[in-house]
Amino acid sequence: MKSTLGVLALALGASGAVLGIGTIAVGLARHDDRLLRIGRRYVFIVLAAAVLAAAVMEWALVTHDFSLQYVADNNARATPLLFTITGLWAALEGSILLWTLVLGGFLAFTAHKFRHRASDPLVAWATLVGLVVALFFFVLTLGPANPFKTLATAPANGQGPNPLLQNHPLMAFHPPMLYLGYVGFTVPFMFAIASLVTGRVGEGWMAETRRATLVAWGFLTVGIVLGAWWSYEVLGWGGYWAWDPVENASLLPWLTATAFIHSVMVQERRAMLRVWNLSLVIATFCLTILGTFLTRSGILNSVHSFTQSAIGPTLLVFLGIVAATGIGLIAWRGDHLRTPGRIDSPVSRESAFLANNLLFAALAFIVLLGTVYPLIAEALQGKQLSVGEPYFDRMTTPVGLALLFLMAAAPALPWRTTSHEVLRDRLLVPAWAGGLTMVVAVALGARELAQVLAFGLAAFAVAGIVRQYAVGARGRRRATAEAWPVAVARMVRGNPRLYGGLIVHVGVVIAAVAIAASSAYTTKREVRLTEGQSATVRGYTLTYVGSHTQRSGQKNTVSADVRIRRGGDDLGTYAPAISTFPNSAQGIGTPSVRTGLREDVYLTLVSSPNEHGRVTIGVAVNPMVLWLWVGGGVMALGTVVALSPALRRRPKPVPEPPPVEVEPAPREREEALT
Amino acid sequence: MKHRVRWIALSVGVVVAAIAVVAATQVGTDPRQDQNKSHLLGDNAPAFDLPTLDGSHVRSADLEGKTVIVNFWNSWCLPCQQEHPALVEFYRRHAGDPAFAMVGIVRDDTESAIRGYVNDEGVPYTVAFDPGANASLDFGTRGQPETYAITPDGVIAGTQFGPSTVAQLEKLYDAARGQS
Amino acid sequence: MSRRGVAWLVLGAVVVITLAIVAWPRGGSPSDAERVRSVSSELRCPDCESQSIAQSSTDVARAARDDIRRRVVAGQSDAEIRQAYIDKFGPSILLKPESGGLGILVWGLPAAALVLGAAGLVLALRRWRRAPHLHATEADRELVQRARS
Repeated sequence: MKSTLGVLALALGASGAVLGIGTIAVGLARHDDRLLRIGRRYVFIVLAAAVLAAAVMEWALVTHDFSLQYVADNNARATPLLFTITGLWAALEGSILLWTLVLGGFLAFTAHKFRHRASDPLVAWATLVGLVVALFFFVLTLGPANPFKTLATAPANGQGPNPLLQNHPLMAFHPPMLYLGYVGFTVPFMFAIASLVTGRVGEGWMAETRRATLVAWGFLTVGIVLGAWWSYEVLGWGGYWAWDPVENASLLPWLTATAFIHSVMVQERRAMLRVWNLSLVIATFCLTILGTFLTRSGILNSVHSFTQSAIGPTLLVFLGIVAATGIGLIAWRGDHLRTPGRIDSPVSRESAFLANNLLFAALAFIVLLGTVYPLIAEALQGKQLSVGEPYFDRMTTPVGLALLFLMAAAPALPWRTTSHEVLRDRLLVPAWAGGLTMVVAVALGARELAQVLAFGLAAFAVAGIVRQYAVGARGRRRATAEAWPVAVARMVRGNPRLYGGLIVHVGVVIAAVAIAASSAYTTKREVRLTEGQSATVRGYTLTYVGSHTQRSGQKNTVSADVRIRRGGDDLGTYAPAISTFPNSAQGIGTPSVRTGLREDVYLTLVSSPNEHGRVTIGVAVNPMVLWLWVGGGVMALGTVVALSPALRRRPKPVPEPPPVEVEPAPREREEALT
Repeated sequence: MKHRVRWIALSVGVVVAAIAVVAATQVGTDPRQDQNKSHLLGDNAPAFDLPTLDGSHVRSADLEGKTVIVNFWNSWCLPCQQEHPALVEFYRRHAGDPAFAMVGIVRDDTESAIRGYVNDEGVPYTVAFDPGANASLDFGTRGQPETYAITPDGVIAGTQFGPSTVAQLEKLYDAARGQS
Repeated sequence: MSRRGVAWLVLGAVVVITLAIVAWPRGGSPSDAERVRSVSSELRCPDCESQSIAQSSTDVARAARDDIRRRVVAGQSDAEIRQAYIDKFGPSILLKPESGGLGILVWGLPAAALVLGAAGLVLALRRWRRAPHLHATEADRELVQRARS
């Protein structure tokens, strides 16, 4: 019954999409506004269908309806409620359901936002493209990826989700955040195609979709950081990023989207780079589909590819069509889009954004090349190759350092042009901050070139941002005599894009420092201890206190209690564990991490107590990992600030002007206004 | 240059199409499973000296002159459990042959788990432990189950990665005996 | 020179000296332990997806680390150790693509792309700085005429 209901919902969604596409297409051909207005309503049918399908699946999961193959494969009676609910995205078919749900939401939101412009061909084409994408995903669920397939005989109990997916509550957040990001990029894509088709390539579409792009970017950032956190805290191999093909697949659209967010500002101010920005938007969307293809086709083995199915070729074909359409449209319209705009000077913020785009494009190219190179090598030479951390680290580090430098210098650059003197004055203090940081780092013993540079550039960047805030607030205070906090708050509200963006930069810098520190200064050891024995690693004394076994219907867990002490202080008892699940006898390790401000103590249970009662415990001391998560949080905060609506400047009744000179230096005032 | 964007777009299109074709030819193939042949095929088999389940030792030197089937396995890997009946059947067929030897080397498992498995399921051939995982490394194993057929001269004549059927085991045996 | 100019100069000197201290080749060749670490971080652990022998905690990875240590102590070069592992496991055991042959693609292309992109940017900036030569066409003149009347 549920299966029928679910399939009906999917069919409803598909037919809604088809009808919507047809209506809008006819309306566009005939210039019939009424048809266009009717056509957009089908978006809501699509949303309703997606909601219904997802609800049916959740219902089946929560009631443990094992007549559905998906539920039998991904759920068991003993599965806790949280992981039952997250079972919706535990495997391929359910993930596609989630994708349609999120897509339906974004389409409905867009349709609602542009409801007064439903007869505008730009909006109509955008809706049409959105419906085509939705149709594709519904067809996927009705065909190769049907989540509502039934089994001839329902088993008494299901297999349960993959053990790795029921280990941690993060499972509830990481995939949905990622999907909110991925799917969100459909919105700018829709409008980019619409503007290419209609030839209306002015800045209108970009301004309209700017918010959606930033929202999607924010979610994708959070999703990626959560994935890194999961990798670190849950998977237990000791790191947060493995340059796994699927991790790379999530990074690629993030890189192109970040480039777009910056170059969009050049287009807004100088009406340049239209073709480049359209290409970035289309590329970002293609990369989200490519990411899904890489994850689901099994073409590159990875932590995520738990299934291999016929979905791969279908996604590849869709990706091919999208890419061909995008490239074709740009080839057709591209030369009409070019404006005679120009950049006045290499020493300007516009140039910095161009350099930014060049570097992000290079990063994306490196990550893409490294990820598909094994495929190319196999196709051309039959050899099986791997491309791992050594390659990616070696190639991305210089580009990353260059980006750090840009982040430090660019905010001080005014628009249009400036003189070298201005730059020298503005950057002197932040540059000294960076230089002194480097000296301190080397004095404290740092000897890796990349790390020292990273620390110095990070300090440079943060000092520059603090300076930006201080100068802006000071300029404001001179005009309005507000208190510092009020001045800062009002200044931010006056230009949330700039100041929110600067907060995001601070988050990036914090994350960069964390990455630099944790990639070079980690200590790893394995210690074999009997009960009561201790070992010392980097100043931490670890005592194996004892082990215990916990059996539940869902899993058996053997954990070893380890007390950590440093100096004289007891830092607590931590319990790394190995769990076995009924349907897979292999043990899944769970690390136990003592998170500290300066460094983490990362414990894993390498082997459970043997017949002599001896355990092998993996100990790693990882510096600064906490700050990676803090950096991610700050990036999210900055995104929220950047999205907040700007405070309109209202003429304020100024009280008695204070009897002091109230003239801010012209340079600073101009800066405060940019 | 006239129509510059068009040319750039088309070149990008050509590159993307090339990558797509490359990707399409690889879809559906599992990059790891594809390599079902060991790189040690034709080379001398590594020497080993391993403790067995019943407390004695099994040495490759002692097995010279016999055709040896080496199977890497453990108690928790599902394909190993799947191929277990085939291995037992194959062993029973040739157990009486003095020129035949079969060793099951444990890969990535604990002694107690293996003892439990052997008690429950029964393994008639020699079960050898690999403390230090040196044999697993020397044979170039990448996982389990993996089966190697070694000629009386000590050369690896055939390999099978993944679970085997009785027919496949017979083929391996024939290859090592020189009667393929 | 102005005070600020001096300040920049001093900063430049400080940075250069600091970087020199960091980048100065350390006396003596890398220790055995360092060599083991560097070689094992470039080889994939045989039963892992993408973890290196240095990172992984599986039995085989541990055996491999011991094996590499033995080889380093016995005097084998990094290349010889890598080749031994390629002979046993195939080229997919390397985490870093080799520089020769097809490897030129994966090492050289990004660098080439970056250089080309940077060159393109510089050229574009140069082009933009030259004053644009705009010629008024007949249509433009008519437009202006109409507007002025």
